[in-house]
Amino acid sequence: MSDEEHHFESKADAGASKTYPQQAGAIRKNGYIVIKARPCKVVEVSTSKTGKHGHAKCHFVGIDIFNGKKLEDIVPSSHNCDVPHVTRTDYQLIDISEDGFVSLLTDSGGTKDDLRLPTDDNLLTQIKDGFAEGKDLVVTVMTAMGEEQICALKDIGPKN
Amino acid sequence: MQGSSDRGPADLTQLQATMQAIEIACSSIQMHVNPAAAEATILSLCQSPQPYQACQFILENSQVANARFQAAAAIRDAAIREWGLLTSDDKKSLISFCLCFVMQHASSPEGYVQSKVSSVAAQLMKRGWLDFAAAEKEAFMYEVKQAVLGVHGVDVQFTGINFLESLVSEFSPSTSTAMGLPREFHEQCLKLLELEYLKTFYCWAQDAAVSVTSRIIESHSAVPEVKVCTAALRLMLQILNWDFRYNTNMAKGAKPSMDAFNDGVRHDIASPKRSECILVQPGPSWRDVLISNGHIGWLLGLYGALRQKFSCEGYWLDCPVAVSARKLIVQFCSLTGTIFPSANMQEHHLLQLLSGIIPWIDPPHAVSQAIECGKSESEMLDGCRALLSMATVTTPTVFDQLLKSVSPFGTLTLLSTLMCEVIKVLMATNTEEETWSWMARDILLDTWTTLLIPMHSIGENARFPSEGINAAANLFALIVEAELRAASASAFNDDEDSQYLQASISAMDERLSSYALIARAAIDVAIPLLTRLFTERFARLHQGKGITDPTETLEELYSLLLITGHVLADEGEGETPSVPMAIQTHFVDIVETHKHPVVVLSSTIIRFAEQSLDQEMRTSVFSPRLMEAVIWFLARWSSTYLMVPEECREDNCNSGYDHESWLRSQHSRKALLSFFGQYNQGKPVLDVIVRISMMTLISYPGEKDLQALTCYQLLHSLVRRKNVCTHLVAFDSWRELANAFANGRTLFSLHSTHQRSLAQTLVLSASGMRNPEASNQYVRDLTSHMTAYLVEMSNKNDLKNFSQQPDIILSVSCLLERLRGAARALEPRTQKAIYEMGFSVMNSVLVLLEVYKHEFAVVYLLLKFVVDWVDGEIIYLEAQETAIVVDFCMRLLQLYSSHNIGKISVSLSSSLLSEAKTEMYKDLRALLQLIANLCSKDMVDFSSDSIETPGTSISQVVYFGLHIVTPLISLDLLKYPKLCHDYFSLLSHMLEVYPEMVAQLNSEAFAHVLGTLDFGLHHQDTEVVDMCLKVLKALASYHYKETSIGKIGLGSHASGFKDSDGKFQEGILSRFLRSLLQLLLFEDYSTDLVGIAADALFPLILCEQGVYQRLGQELADSQANPTLKSRLVNALQSLTSSNQLSPTLDRINYKRFRKNLHSFLIEVHGFLRTM
Repeated sequence: MSDEEHHFESKADAGASKTYPQQAGAIRKNGYIVIKARPCKVVEVSTSKTGKHGHAKCHFVGIDIFNGKKLEDIVPSSHNCDVPHVTRTDYQLIDISEDGFVSLLTDSGGTKDDLRLPTDDNLLTQIKDGFAEGKDLVVTVMTAMGEEQICALKDIGPKN
Repeated sequence: MQGSSDRGPADLTQLQATMQAIEIACSSIQMHVNPAAAEATILSLCQSPQPYQACQFILENSQVANARFQAAAAIRDAAIREWGLLTSDDKKSLISFCLCFVMQHASSPEGYVQSKVSSVAAQLMKRGWLDFAAAEKEAFMYEVKQAVLGVHGVDVQFTGINFLESLVSEFSPSTSTAMGLPREFHEQCLKLLELEYLKTFYCWAQDAAVSVTSRIIESHSAVPEVKVCTAALRLMLQILNWDFRYNTNMAKGAKPSMDAFNDGVRHDIASPKRSECILVQPGPSWRDVLISNGHIGWLLGLYGALRQKFSCEGYWLDCPVAVSARKLIVQFCSLTGTIFPSANMQEHHLLQLLSGIIPWIDPPHAVSQAIECGKSESEMLDGCRALLSMATVTTPTVFDQLLKSVSPFGTLTLLSTLMCEVIKVLMATNTEEETWSWMARDILLDTWTTLLIPMHSIGENARFPSEGINAAANLFALIVEAELRAASASAFNDDEDSQYLQASISAMDERLSSYALIARAAIDVAIPLLTRLFTERFARLHQGKGITDPTETLEELYSLLLITGHVLADEGEGETPSVPMAIQTHFVDIVETHKHPVVVLSSTIIRFAEQSLDQEMRTSVFSPRLMEAVIWFLARWSSTYLMVPEECREDNCNSGYDHESWLRSQHSRKALLSFFGQYNQGKPVLDVIVRISMMTLISYPGEKDLQALTCYQLLHSLVRRKNVCTHLVAFDSWRELANAFANGRTLFSLHSTHQRSLAQTLVLSASGMRNPEASNQYVRDLTSHMTAYLVEMSNKNDLKNFSQQPDIILSVSCLLERLRGAARALEPRTQKAIYEMGFSVMNSVLVLLEVYKHEFAVVYLLLKFVVDWVDGEIIYLEAQETAIVVDFCMRLLQLYSSHNIGKISVSLSSSLLSEAKTEMYKDLRALLQLIANLCSKDMVDFSSDSIETPGTSISQVVYFGLHIVTPLISLDLLKYPKLCHDYFSLLSHMLEVYPEMVAQLNSEAFAHVLGTLDFGLHHQDTEVVDMCLKVLKALASYHYKETSIGKIGLGSHASGFKDSDGKFQEGILSRFLRSLLQLLLFEDYSTDLVGIAADALFPLILCEQGVYQRLGQELADSQANPTLKSRLVNALQSLTSSNQLSPTLDRINYKRFRKNLHSFLIEVHGFLRTM
């Protein structure tokens, strides 16, 4: 690695890359990691050695940010891991359609209609109930590795 | 199911019905049929008023042992609760019923019912101990005495001893049962028992044991008397374990007045101990019982006779009577203090014991052989424990002399041979399991530590018997051999279980410290030995390079480095450790410093460490683990020996020396220290250390443990000393490190907390600059690049697009961690630069908080950075700067709250959801800390502004802060103990200091604060309840004081108001008066809280007299029973009137009210809770 200036200018393909390499030793709890081609949130990191006088390796426990499944991986700590590019965007919720799609208002004023409601009943009711009560809802949509999902909602209701 | 409360002749059928119900409940609990209902049935018996007749009936008639057990428990619960209501005859008859019951059923096979009833008797006896007249107690005790002396046969004798055992354990602080009474009660009981009865009990036990001794010795198989003897020995042991404080006649007048229940820990010996050893100091009045009547001789004789019988049927090495006898013998070894009229007498006593114990441990080889062949190890271990106890009560010389008078060698030699034997066994078995040899080693090691520590601390090594020095030298050589062998044997083990490892490391650290003490006792031999071992292993590494697998040698070096580090230097624990006494006072004859054995050893290791800088050597030899040991050693060694400033060397320690030898030792010490001083080898060695540290950070990627050691131990210990910093900042190597850190990207791959620590280290080293200007400039150079990066980034237009890229997130979080580290390293002379650093990124912080609002990890770092920065800076800031910082913090709080109020995370995964909650909790905790830090400006202020300058009102800040943060704090989040703690401590602080601000809170925020207060009052954590009570006290006393001078105080909050629906809302003070009374009268709480509750209740009552009168009236009216009612009315009356209580809130009145509340609760708490 060199001491060259680091630039954050968007390169030609900036944003297109779905994952970035990062040294395993630098990945922390609460960060993200790709395990078995799935984007995960790291919930546990532990290190051990290969033999007493060997090198360190990291043991990651991650939870798939979309389906909640638990995944594990062991990587030598000086090697690189893939870290997913996770973005979250806020949209105002305009409508919930009969066929299970939501209609969202984008920043630019257009609508985004290609996002399904979550299938899980529990999450579904949280969103539907809030909407039915006539609250002004903002939903946060999480995107990573080509998948999208609603991950949070917020009542921006009457301003105080 | 009710007990008969009318005390008339109870209906037999009713009693039988009760008994049946309890029996059914007991058996259904056992069979696990509907346990909840069964428990309720049993509970209702305990809680019913006066259930005694029913309980006695069950005890006498039931065939179900469990039912009898529960009945006994019910008697205890009811009697303790209703004690104040029972007549004196009732009380006595309950106790004598229990006593008679156990005596009559002495031969009953259900031991647990027996011991329960006997403990109930003991508890009731204690409860009444202060009420009963001496003659009444005598009467009970006479019965017990008859039983114990064997008048009624063996079984009753056994039962009597058992009762005494329960009684003694009920009276000693650590084993007593809570009775809802203040500590003073327990303490008085303790005192009375010790002064009046304890010795008598001991004599009875002695007599009982002696009376059965001949029967035991004469018989050839187990006889029933053995049971009595065992119990008597146990009772004697228990009494000798008593924490004697009243009769010792010692020159420590303060001790008896100390609180028995706070003083549970003895402070006699402040050394790290693996095995407990309590001193027994009963005082001169016990001399006749314990010493002069041949008691010891009898005890040793008894055990000697038992030893002969171990081949007989019914006796073996671990049979209860043998175990008890041995324990008692060991206990006698720790007997000390004024019970002995002269030291001579004590030595005689110890010698007598030692002669009895010798056969257990000597000859060591034969003993260990026998154990390896299957003999039980307990006798041998008890022998070791006896040695430990003797070491605790004697000096090394006396200890060594003990055996000399009867054998050709001293006790130290025996100790050394014994331990060598144990270590040989350890080496031979070499398992990870805890075997007898482990335990024996630990006990014997403690014995050495006990003998060596006092000498070590006052530097009286010269007085250690010379035979002992040889013994120590032999032992140390064997220990090192054993450790090395264990190391090479374990070299290929894979330690997977890291948690277990952690525990074993700290255990090992303790062990190594003890080894070091032994080595220092024979330092002349130990240092050359270590040097030789190192040299051998280095040579082996070089010869075998590339040919043989070095792993075993590496592990041996690892362990040698640890041992040597402990021998050469002490752990500083934050202070600069001095050179160990043993090293200072030895080697006085060395003329050429570079031949000083310690210099030779240190130089050997440093030269070895230096080789790790070579790339080829590093890959072939310096494994991460070996490097860890090297770094650890360098850290420990350098804080003792490297560039020790002159003034530290001058501390004189001439106690116990004649002047000449003191001068000589001073000379040798100076020579040793100046060798590694700044004008000699100090600078080159320091430079090597810096280069090695930098290399571990860069060339061992991902080795977190190694880098942690480098950052936290080595570098931190270097920059802690100013004279070292002066040299550091001048080194090229240090500049390289600073440059790589400030401008390069290589160190981004370090673990983030290590980066924080590294930033801290580098900023701290600025103290080595010539003057404050240079220091500030140094810090600016270090941080400007990082702040510029953040500022530039936050000004980008397309920030939103690229900010979420993982590499950008990584850079941002690394930089924030570093800034945080720099902020934490703030010192007065760098305060300016650190302020500028934070000031320059203030806007960026807000921008980043917006951009990364979904990225918890970054948000948390941002908050923590601000928290630490404000924490360090706030006290130095001038008025204008304060205004800027406060304004910034408020914007930060507002922004954070606008992102998070009303936010709900949704996820399929419950663990991710709980993570989200934890994140929220951590954020809020940081915010609370931020507000608390801002508050501290009002307490400590170093700014140059005069007090008159109109500055920012901190109370305003707090007021706004509370408005913003409290809505985020939900009752759910308060379940996190730390958050809960922080929140309530902040709340109690603010209300105590700024009660007037609270009055101005809007009703919504106020209601929220009160809601949490309600929650806190019923929290399990007494500390939280304590803080809530403080809040109440603050609120109520503020209101009372304000209104009494005609102001409005809390205004509408206190007086109550009509809410929007037109309903009248009760004022908060009367609301809390009600709930506090409810809590005090009807709920469970620790008696420790009564004091602070009184402080809150007193002003509440003064504020709301009317409400209080009404509540008192309601309470009295709810009482149907006229006696109870009048008692309650009287108690309420005296709560507010006795002790000349007057309605002013000053210290005296608070104190009086505390007393009143205590007696009020004792009077009524018991019966109110039964209703």
